[in-house]
Amino acid sequence: MEQNRQPQIGNGDRGDASRRDGDASRRRALVQELRRIVGDAHVLVEDADVIVYEQDGSILQAMPEIVVLPADVTQVSEVIRAARRAGFPIVPRGSGTGLAGGAVPAGGGVVVSLARLNRLLGVDYRNRTAELEPGVINLEVTKGVAKAGFFYAPDPSSQAACSIGGNLANNSGGPHTLAYGVTTNHALGVEVVLHDGSIVWLGGTVPDVPGYDLCGVFVGSEGTLGIVTRAIVRLMRAREDVRTLLAIFDSMDSATQAVVDITAAGIVPAALEMMDKTTIEAVERGAPAGYPRDAEAVLLLEVEGVREYTERALRMAHEVCTRAGARQVRAARDEQERQALWKGRKGAFGALGTLAPNYYVMDGVVPRSKLPQTMRAVAEIAEQYQVRIANVFHAGDGNLHPNILFDIRVPGALDRVIEAGAAILRACVAVGGSLTGEHGIGLEKRDYMEWLFSKDDLEAMTRVRLAFDPQRAFNPGKIFPTPVSCGEVRRAPARIPEGLWI
Amino acid sequence: MMKVMDRRTLVARLREVVGAPHVLTRPEDLVVYEQDAFLVAHASPDIVVLPGAAAEVGTVIALARAAGVPVIARGAGTGLNGGSIPVAGGLMLVLTRMNRILEIDARSRLAVVEPGVVNIDLSAASARDGLFYAPDPGSQGVSTIGGNVGNNAGGPHCLAYGVTGNHVLGMEVVLSSGEIMTVGSPAVDAPGYDLAGLLVGSEGTLGVITRITVRLLRQAEAVRTLLAVFETIDDASQTVSEVIAAGIVPTAMEMIDAVVMRAVEAAIHAGYPADAGAVLLIEVEGHVQALPGLMERIAAVAKRHRPRVLRQANSARERELLWKGRKEGAGALGRLAPSYYLHDGVVPRTKLPEVMAKVAAIARTHGLVIGNLFHAGDGNLHPTILFDPRQPGMLARVVQAGEEILRACVAAGGSITGEHGVGIEKREYMRWLFTEADLQAMRRVKDAFDPTGLLNPGKLLPDVMSSGAQADVKSPAFSVRPRAGLWS
Repeated sequence: MEQNRQPQIGNGDRGDASRRDGDASRRRALVQELRRIVGDAHVLVEDADVIVYEQDGSILQAMPEIVVLPADVTQVSEVIRAARRAGFPIVPRGSGTGLAGGAVPAGGGVVVSLARLNRLLGVDYRNRTAELEPGVINLEVTKGVAKAGFFYAPDPSSQAACSIGGNLANNSGGPHTLAYGVTTNHALGVEVVLHDGSIVWLGGTVPDVPGYDLCGVFVGSEGTLGIVTRAIVRLMRAREDVRTLLAIFDSMDSATQAVVDITAAGIVPAALEMMDKTTIEAVERGAPAGYPRDAEAVLLLEVEGVREYTERALRMAHEVCTRAGARQVRAARDEQERQALWKGRKGAFGALGTLAPNYYVMDGVVPRSKLPQTMRAVAEIAEQYQVRIANVFHAGDGNLHPNILFDIRVPGALDRVIEAGAAILRACVAVGGSLTGEHGIGLEKRDYMEWLFSKDDLEAMTRVRLAFDPQRAFNPGKIFPTPVSCGEVRRAPARIPEGLWI
Repeated sequence: MMKVMDRRTLVARLREVVGAPHVLTRPEDLVVYEQDAFLVAHASPDIVVLPGAAAEVGTVIALARAAGVPVIARGAGTGLNGGSIPVAGGLMLVLTRMNRILEIDARSRLAVVEPGVVNIDLSAASARDGLFYAPDPGSQGVSTIGGNVGNNAGGPHCLAYGVTGNHVLGMEVVLSSGEIMTVGSPAVDAPGYDLAGLLVGSEGTLGVITRITVRLLRQAEAVRTLLAVFETIDDASQTVSEVIAAGIVPTAMEMIDAVVMRAVEAAIHAGYPADAGAVLLIEVEGHVQALPGLMERIAAVAKRHRPRVLRQANSARERELLWKGRKEGAGALGRLAPSYYLHDGVVPRTKLPEVMAKVAAIARTHGLVIGNLFHAGDGNLHPTILFDPRQPGMLARVVQAGEEILRACVAAGGSITGEHGVGIEKREYMRWLFTEADLQAMRRVKDAFDPTGLLNPGKLLPDVMSSGAQADVKSPAFSVRPRAGLWS
């Protein structure tokens, strides 16, 4: 390889060096150009306007310089060309519900909001695909096809607010990922705009098209390779029957063992969700669901499929839970009871507010068989760092969401919380797990990537990055470890949005 | 490419690295490696090396790079697209000695294997834990996991379980620099770019895979197999379309036409009626209680299309016999003609009846016999053109007909390959599916991994088209270029 193409890991990934801060005339010229492209109303430059875009669902903030809202792929292409000519970094953004700081403009630059590209372009029921723009809200897809007996499977908890484009960028999961997989398993093809404004199609309308799987590379690339302007996603047939069961345990160990045993018994639940004692306390205070307050863990299991299967799977799961030492197992008899069982889980995150003013949600993954020992490690870390941790998570996937509760006003609390979070993720990696199950790396975890990948591994990723984006113009400062932290980024208290469940 | 090391020095160094018996240089040894299962092209490698470990692979690649010699990875040589044919000569890395199953972790349901492990051996080894490895290409008794990964291979049960890419969690790869890299992780969906996904199906053009972590699935509690015999292929195609539309996902749904049925019956007596239009083999898996109901629903759909026979396998032995006919169908075709050209196109399931009619029309136009045995549930066709290569002009007609079939697939909204890959066979056809800008994006990724074009040159991607030029796919799409004359 030529010497000058050798990728620079880390310190090069901080935006385009050709840009000069304070070059006011250049900025003015860019704003003019952007206004010409998308119309005056869709370019935001005033502090009062752009401040809305300084944060996502993470605890990190940075002010964008310009926010632009294009309406179609042609405008996106022109916006990218204009921003590149002016030497401004480009930060794509969907609904801003990301939890890892991926949409926070760490190096300033132009935030490109895809919120106006929000059309459902077409549905092909016979071949079970939908074609849509990136700004379409996740839940709208399922709403649009439900009447015909279909649904869009990836269901991040923010699904009423988050966009398909954001889901693609973060390879989002959700409670039903256990049965249906994450976003990448449902994306067949994407239209993307690259750094030079060119528009290309990656993937296709059928799975497994020949050539390199660049659609797969784009999904989960967190806006660092280009901007998705159109996607073809897979639709699934609604299931004949859904059954839900709640099991209450006196120890976390027996609850996690039940998770291991359920999958070992060959049951593939559509969802298998766990809440610990701290979460139960919060739920019963904030959104009472009838969970016994002295229980150590509750497990929520859902199976979907043909009736013969769901009945039998439910019976088997019931037996496994009892054998693992469940104090009580309740099965929902009708839709109303089913909703009641889910109520506590869905209200859990909001209810955490009754325990502490702030929380920091982590997102680690471990092999399912390592769940019991990892949950013990999380409890030890809580003790060691003197923090309170509530666990609400996708147990069936081994996808943990330890929520560290704290009060931002207590001096030093946030630092301790971040250290405890890092210790939890280290524990996940140590047992063969990973840094993120569904929230992505973003700004938050980029420096932890070295725990998981060697220098050679990261260099290979960097080479792919540079193959698409030689100037690192797209979303600089994300995913890849950076030794010097960006001065622009501030930490802010996590706010608990109304009705959010993760 | 510049020559900086002479052949004698390179061979001597290679012998030091892997041991003298594992470096082949005599023409009579090399000839074995000049072909794969793409029966219509061949080219001989200059040197064949059989490494025993990843570190050896790294050193061999570094040496080849220093000598400016292309490197072509090869598994069992069962590929159907010519992907392992050394079109520009060079050094062939045969990975069959790296055939150890390193680990089976039944709790986490994964296995770590070397690339030379034969597909079916992994399922056999994991069976005692009640597990299996899902991708089941027709060649699974011979083909290697490394080759399966290189081609993103499928198989009859991909309808339910997906192709190889859905079952690879991570791998160790030697890059063209000789560096060893790991991609993916034992946990699904590792952060960062999905490089494991990128390498699956890259046909040896980005790196040489030396270790693979794959997902194992739990064996289903029960299996039911249904044989449905139809008077016409159209009735069978309609049945496939309607079963899927009814929301049923069988684990396999395979079609065999009259041509293949006759060959199979003559060869192995699987019990298919020799005079029917088409046979459908439908398999469902799951819990014991759920299966009878499912079978009834499938039978109800089939009954709308005048089946001559609807028969369930009543024992494991009967089931195996029904499957034997399908799995050995391609081999049985040898009874009908001295050679065949097995195609691999994909169409949206709903277009099956229309495209099958088109395939029959193409056979008539060119005066060829085409047999069909394929993964109907996926819309993955395998029209197999039977011919005698000794007849003058025959090969050109066969290639032309094949091209027309693939064009019909693409015109119906499908693709040029479902599971066999592109190799040299379909390089030029990539232009039908992708614009020059799309292909350029792929070339940039190739350059990022292999900037000097050391690995498997002349495969997968068509050459850059000079501006204004038209794709010339009329000329033989897989012309094997004259050898570079490395050390002639």
